[in-house]
Amino acid sequence: MIKLRNLDFRLPSGFALNIDSLEIREGEVFAVIGPNGAGKTTLLNILALLQEAKPGALEIGGSDALAPSSRTRLRRSMAYLFSRPYLVNDTVYSNVELPLRFRGERDSGQVAEMLEVFKIGYLRDRNATQLSQGERHRVSMARAFVTRPRLVLLDEPFSSLDARAKEAIIGDLRRITRAAKTTVVLVTQDQEEALALADVLAVIKGGRLLQQGKPQEIFARPASKEVADFVGVETLLDGEVKAKSDNLCSVSVGPATLEVASECAVGDKVLLCVRPEAVSVSKAPEANSMRNHFRGKIVSMEPWRLEYRLSVDCGFNLIAAVTKRSLDEMGLKPGDEVFASFKATAAHLIRR
Amino acid sequence: MEFIIDGFLKGLSLIFNGDAEVYSIVKLSLSVSVLATAVSVGVGVPLGSLIAIKKFPAKKIVISLVNTGMGLPPVVVGLMAMLLLSRNGPLSFLGWLYTPAGMVLAQVIIATPVVTGLSLSAMQSLDRRFYLQMLTLGAGQWQALWVCLKELKLSILAAVIAGFGSIISEVGAVMIVGGNIRHQTRVLTTATVMETQMGNFDNAIALGLILVGLTFLINLALTFIQQQKARSE
Repeated sequence: MIKLRNLDFRLPSGFALNIDSLEIREGEVFAVIGPNGAGKTTLLNILALLQEAKPGALEIGGSDALAPSSRTRLRRSMAYLFSRPYLVNDTVYSNVELPLRFRGERDSGQVAEMLEVFKIGYLRDRNATQLSQGERHRVSMARAFVTRPRLVLLDEPFSSLDARAKEAIIGDLRRITRAAKTTVVLVTQDQEEALALADVLAVIKGGRLLQQGKPQEIFARPASKEVADFVGVETLLDGEVKAKSDNLCSVSVGPATLEVASECAVGDKVLLCVRPEAVSVSKAPEANSMRNHFRGKIVSMEPWRLEYRLSVDCGFNLIAAVTKRSLDEMGLKPGDEVFASFKATAAHLIRR
Repeated sequence: MEFIIDGFLKGLSLIFNGDAEVYSIVKLSLSVSVLATAVSVGVGVPLGSLIAIKKFPAKKIVISLVNTGMGLPPVVVGLMAMLLLSRNGPLSFLGWLYTPAGMVLAQVIIATPVVTGLSLSAMQSLDRRFYLQMLTLGAGQWQALWVCLKELKLSILAAVIAGFGSIISEVGAVMIVGGNIRHQTRVLTTATVMETQMGNFDNAIALGLILVGLTFLINLALTFIQQQKARSE
């Protein structure tokens, strides 16, 4: 659906976006995540043909998107939802009908269908600028989908919504894009949003594409420290592979030795990554199949969303995610001695 | 004091007795200024919008030039228009010197920067992403600009009011380009100046009253439309 090659784009501010190659397949939900100022929106603007960039090649739906003559035609095959819905000062119906008017087409029932799909039929004659934020987002989505676009670009479209409204809209969006096999490029800082929707995930930072792959793969096996930091790997330890048996590496981290399933070789200097949710914590030693067991002391306990983050000093610092219920059941508090364990396959090594 | 009151009374009698010459002057004033305003809006609104929306080198210089144009002295504009239209000027072939068409040209030169500058400023007050959003919905450049202008209709109407106001009451340009020729190019402002210089204060006051009244009525109508739109939003 989209092929981008050799993009070297500079903004007047000096920010540069460099992407050697990016390919998005038809019907795929492709999420781009990264911190603020990473270049996510710039990338989306380039794909929407709003930014005067001159990549080596940009193909959208088989057409050369760099040809000025194809610009409006290609834009009409896509829809772009900004983080803030820009609605005209008119009724909901007129707003949703607008893309049809731009194309010189008449409404033959598409508007009513979209109002139904996004559950805003009852708002048909209301002024769109006087609606709640959630309703405005729904109008914006109905407007974007009324022409049945083949490509939808989403720039943090749910960032201003509360959790319940966000969940409902994501559900509707997933349903309609899957049904119509629409290609979606989603830009977000919210990893849960990306995980909920994405077939393929790309991490971008400082104008560079750091990693691209299946979401679970990126979250479990980040390719660099920058990616690991961004995707929520909280235990990052410098170490060295001291021994290897089959695919199991023994990694020395300070005085401790950890076992990790990895392709690394003996002598490799590595960064050892463990996600907090992969670490199990108990008050007494547990007999289980996990290869890594450590006795440690709780240094701190911080609430994080619906869980707690425990920082455990095991001779190295290990971060574990524990539910509030488990915490209460075990009666844990800072200074307590605990046993932390994780599987060799749950950790990941990045060569330094 | 008495001669002023007399002047007012005679002026009112000229208006209400339907003096033919006065009415022909009023008619020409309105035709020239309304046509000039229409041309200025036709040129200035799209031009100002494009300057606001587009990114191009020397944009700040272009905006400074427009802002300078908003304060052009009408006398200087009249002089420039006269030189352009005069026998040796580059536009002499038009044959517009001392004609209403020449007066329209001079007034267009005065009003266009005013309309352009105010439209530009109105468009810059709109989030640029609104325009981009219209493009992404499949609008061509002009369709997107039209939707933006509809969003800004109150500000654009203010630009129209200001453009009309800048020319209906100016005297320097129309005097130089039109020549204040009786039954041909005499308008309210030039006639008022002439009558004052001749000591016919009653006529001058009558013309002055009509000019102020007309300006008020037209602005009242435009303001009424503007405020009605504001109430409905």
